[in-house]
Amino acid sequence: MSNINGKVYAMNAITPMKPWKTWILRAAFFALGHIKPLQKDLINLSFIEFARWVIVPRDGFPSLGNGQVKEDLQYDYLLFFSNFNGTWNQYIDAFSAVLSGGLNLVWRWSEKFPGSVPVTLFKEYIARVQFDTDYYYTAYPQATANDVKSAHIVQASVESLAAIAENCTPEQFAEAYLKFVLQVQCHLGETGNAPVAG
Amino acid sequence: MPNKNGSVYGLTILSPIIEDEKATPSHDLQIRNYLSKLSTREDSPFALAPGTHLARLVVMDDVIYVGMPACEEHLKSKYLIFESNLDGDLDGYLNGLAASIPEHLDAIWQHCVGYPGAGSRRAFVDYMKACQIETTFFFAAVNDKSVTETLRALQTQTAVTDFIARHQGADASTLQRDFIAFLGYLKSLPLPKAGSMGPHRPIETGGRNE
Repeated sequence: MSNINGKVYAMNAITPMKPWKTWILRAAFFALGHIKPLQKDLINLSFIEFARWVIVPRDGFPSLGNGQVKEDLQYDYLLFFSNFNGTWNQYIDAFSAVLSGGLNLVWRWSEKFPGSVPVTLFKEYIARVQFDTDYYYTAYPQATANDVKSAHIVQASVESLAAIAENCTPEQFAEAYLKFVLQVQCHLGETGNAPVAG
Repeated sequence: MPNKNGSVYGLTILSPIIEDEKATPSHDLQIRNYLSKLSTREDSPFALAPGTHLARLVVMDDVIYVGMPACEEHLKSKYLIFESNLDGDLDGYLNGLAASIPEHLDAIWQHCVGYPGAGSRRAFVDYMKACQIETTFFFAAVNDKSVTETLRALQTQTAVTDFIARHQGADASTLQRDFIAFLGYLKSLPLPKAGSMGPHRPIETGGRNE
């Protein structure tokens, strides 16, 4: 079992919802998906690489026959999977502090959700509904979400400078190089092993 | 389409695990045992197959009871959750998995109900799709770059850091000549292996972060 690989933490959570509430949540997600300004806070939480919410209707668990007994559930279930940088406590604290309105909108339809503020009860709830990851892979374990964003900025800047490198005088190149350094200097953070957590 | 964000696809699969009282150890435990021995670095099956940014495999034993006044209920099957963040389209990805790592897929999913094996590509893809749950909302911090582009960009970032450090105070002619040579050097570098921690750097990170 490992929830951590390099600089990424895998979180899994599952919460029960009364089926009639599921439709409200679907509408909320539809709005979140189509009105980009609503995603601003989520994007600003720049330590999240990928995250998803998946609603599994009470009759939506895969039923394949072959002797499998069909599920008989009263609740729909909300699955949450996140891939984030940093520790569990940092993540939940930041979620609660920055995204409390959005979190309440998503999870208030789940049974016994206490609200994302105050954080103590919120953490207790998340700890209760979380389950562990058995296998976790990332293609770039040495990098955080911000490292990846920065690396693509550096790559684009190199390609821009490369386009003029051979067709200008040394003085013109030096001027362009200076602009290039100014562009990328905030994006040269060191990747590698994660800090020791504990 | 909620499964996609930009060019990244969010795949969520729930495969029911075989319930067999006579199996020793149980099928879910056999999956867990196999996964615990599987590499998560550059020789990971997901590094060998193309197109996976991040992926996880999780045995979900049951739903979670949150306490009164909610009703307590239980699943009749355990499920193997496969969550993957991948490049491109689903059919291409699943076919790529079946072509690249069939032995790993079979070793894991043979414990799931109705699994046909990766040998029959069409049956494998159909099975995975039958177990797929549509993602309701999918967020990707970077949604327009492939795994290959990201690995290349991270390599460039490290090389550029070194180049800039080495050329502080260099005159214009040296700078231009060396940068053109540097571009050739960048092109000559092999693509870093997916799943690797990157080159060892003699810079210490560390300290407690909690």
